[in-house]
Amino acid sequence: MAQPFPYTYYACDCFDSTTTTASKRASQVLAAAAEEDERDFDPRSPRSNYSLFPLEHLLYCEDCQQIRCPRCVIEETLNWYCPSCLFEVPSSVVKSDGNRCTRNCFNCPVCTAPMTTNSLDTSGDNGPPYILACPYCHWSTVEIGIEFEKSTGISSQLARVANGGKHIPTQKERDKERERKKELEERRREGRAVMSPSEESPTTDTEREEVAPSHDELFANLGAFYKSQMEAQTPSNPFSSHDINYSSPSAYSRIVNLYSSTTSKKNKRNKHTPFREAGSALEGLTIHDSAADAAAIERIKREGWGSTLSPSTKHAQINPNLRFDNELRPLATLLCTKRSKRCRSCRHILSKPETKVTSTRYKIKLLALNHIPRLSIRALPLNINPAQQQPLAPPARPESAFNYNGLKSGIPTHFLLHLSNPLFDPIRVTLATPSTTPGKVQSRITILCPQFDVGANTDVWDDALASTLSPINRTSLINDAGQIEAGKIWDRGRNWTSVVVEVVPGFLKPVAFPVLAEDGKGGGEAEGDDGGLDEDEDVLEIPVFVRIEFEADVVAEERGLGVSVGGGDAKKGEGGAREKREVAFWTVVGAGRIAPL
Amino acid sequence: MSRPTARKAAPKGEYIETDSGNKVSRRSAITGTANITLGGRTVIMADVVLRGDLHSTRPVPSSSGKEVTPTSISIGRCTVISTGSVIKPPCRTSKGMPHYYPVKIGDNVFVGPNCAISAITIASHVHIGANVTIHPFAIIKENVKILPNSVIPANMVIAPGSVVGGQPARVVGEVGEGWGVSGGGAGGGLGVGGGGEEKWVEGGDLRELVRSIK
Ligand SMILES: [Zn+2]
Ligand SMILES: [Zn+2]
Ligand SMILES: [Zn+2]
Ligand SMILES: [Zn+2]
Repeated sequence: MAQPFPYTYYACDCFDSTTTTASKRASQVLAAAAEEDERDFDPRSPRSNYSLFPLEHLLYCEDCQQIRCPRCVIEETLNWYCPSCLFEVPSSVVKSDGNRCTRNCFNCPVCTAPMTTNSLDTSGDNGPPYILACPYCHWSTVEIGIEFEKSTGISSQLARVANGGKHIPTQKERDKERERKKELEERRREGRAVMSPSEESPTTDTEREEVAPSHDELFANLGAFYKSQMEAQTPSNPFSSHDINYSSPSAYSRIVNLYSSTTSKKNKRNKHTPFREAGSALEGLTIHDSAADAAAIERIKREGWGSTLSPSTKHAQINPNLRFDNELRPLATLLCTKRSKRCRSCRHILSKPETKVTSTRYKIKLLALNHIPRLSIRALPLNINPAQQQPLAPPARPESAFNYNGLKSGIPTHFLLHLSNPLFDPIRVTLATPSTTPGKVQSRITILCPQFDVGANTDVWDDALASTLSPINRTSLINDAGQIEAGKIWDRGRNWTSVVVEVVPGFLKPVAFPVLAEDGKGGGEAEGDDGGLDEDEDVLEIPVFVRIEFEADVVAEERGLGVSVGGGDAKKGEGGAREKREVAFWTVVGAGRIAPL
Repeated sequence: MSRPTARKAAPKGEYIETDSGNKVSRRSAITGTANITLGGRTVIMADVVLRGDLHSTRPVPSSSGKEVTPTSISIGRCTVISTGSVIKPPCRTSKGMPHYYPVKIGDNVFVGPNCAISAITIASHVHIGANVTIHPFAIIKENVKILPNSVIPANMVIAPGSVVGGQPARVVGEVGEGWGVSGGGAGGGLGVGGGGEEKWVEGGDLRELVRSIK
């Protein structure tokens, strides 16, 4: 678990809600909630990984009156930017140059740290030559034999130089070269037929072909080949005489061809070459070369595994076929995006950031935390174990004293569930939890007061001026046996209420058999191997079902719009009709980790 | 090494509170106090080391002709520097001479315990977990969350709204739209008083946290 204890995740039920229509109204929500009551949410189910989110990651659709998680929103890219130089990249450039920064931003191919341009000049004037160096792992372009003449325009300089310092032809040069080679081949073929071989060209040509074409070259060749293929295909399209675009995607023209072939047989006869695949290196075909494999094996024999790339490093490279460390290239920084989000079912915009890269403000932001209660858990600061009978004076800093990573099996531990209400109407809350946590380590859970009210989120000053809330007499909560009485809340404030949850953490190595695991207490002494425990099986996660009921104005509400900034005003609809609303959802609270005995 | 006030025999609170509400632990180690500015309601906890003495040695031009004390560390409002963290201005050597550059930390920044920070800028509403190392000249923009035990390499720029982690740190995600927004809209609807939860959220307004530190 990445989050420190204690934490709360909220479940979005979008993965199993069959009706995500905008017209889902209270009655349906009720029915769905009732249905949901039937089965408990299992935070350990593999599916739960995809439906649990921290509250601040959730949005809220006011039209659907539902939580919207990253899976049930549609994202629209507003712009692209480089996270390193924070420059926006126009979408046209992204289309032509790809999703990497074309300025001077590079990441280390070994450790991903951003690289810096350093001077190799020893005179202290920071003159040429320059290199790209990683300040973290000290890998630099010196290791692949690349130096730069200027400290600016590194991207274009790097694009022109291969590892070892050799010149890389540009795209234009490559295209020209390809055409030249193709012509040569053609001529040779013809020449062979006419039996008059042209003498000058083959020698130079074979010399050049000694060097295997690079990944980029092959890709360019393949791209050019398919382009020519598509161009060759389109004229055979019977509709081409009309206004079908010459540059339409191949798929489209192929479909059109498919239909057209049935219309007339004349066309079929007219159709010349079918769409063929690449047939030579010039067309982008890579033929497996066993000699290269043998050379690679020889090299590993000679230099050992140290010269090869680790799987994660290999995975990070642009060219997926790299094997050895001298083939690494600095990686241009990947671009990031700013995105707006829409509700997947009703298409309303839920969040829209300002497009400026450095701005952190939002034009629209409908947060779930302004619409559903925030639930949090933490250890009860007091020790009210009957055995110890300690006075009820709250220690100064109880939080720091409690070790969330060392929950003791079999010993009842008390937690406080704290629920705060962001709505401007008071809510009635019903909490539910399975009596034992799902999973192999079964902890017993009891919410001592599962039903209670939470005040409205009125102005803070209301609270300060009129402290109408009577202070809760804690001692009355504790009965003669020293136990917390059930059915009473622990504490409350303006818009929050807290209740006590009693947890009996389960045993990590219980009874080896699930049959006996029913009896959580018996297994303490059992010495079984804990081989049955999966990772994080010792984490005490409590599924809590939250249902809130409240009366709200029927009138369309726009309060969510401004809430995130100033808090919005708590004006109630004057004389407007009220309607009963109900919201229900599952949460998972991570209460801690059970310590081994 | 100079302490803000001389130690006295009488038992006192952990913190010395300044006029602007800064709380500085008596057990912190602050050098070059003249070169450090605290924005107000900022907390410097025990065993924190602030190397204000490492300031720029270049002459600062001033209109009045008077000598201006260079700032080496400036920290904004409601920022919390937790126990054992070290803030040391970044240094660059040129022509054999070390040159220090001032560190600027924004408002509502939380620095977890035992961090080592040599960043050039940390913007506002940044949450830094425990045991984080930030190498010289890193720039951390607004609303960034740095996971515990991360190492931020030198010169790294962290874009606004990123979550970074790892050694070396890389962007592992984005903070949610609700980052820094405490629940309940107005007035932070989080619990007040006994039994309530902590009254602040990561990346949010740290005023309540500062108030609770005594
Ligand atoms: Zn969802
Ligand atoms: Zn860039
Ligand atoms: Zn590196
Ligand atoms: Zn919707």
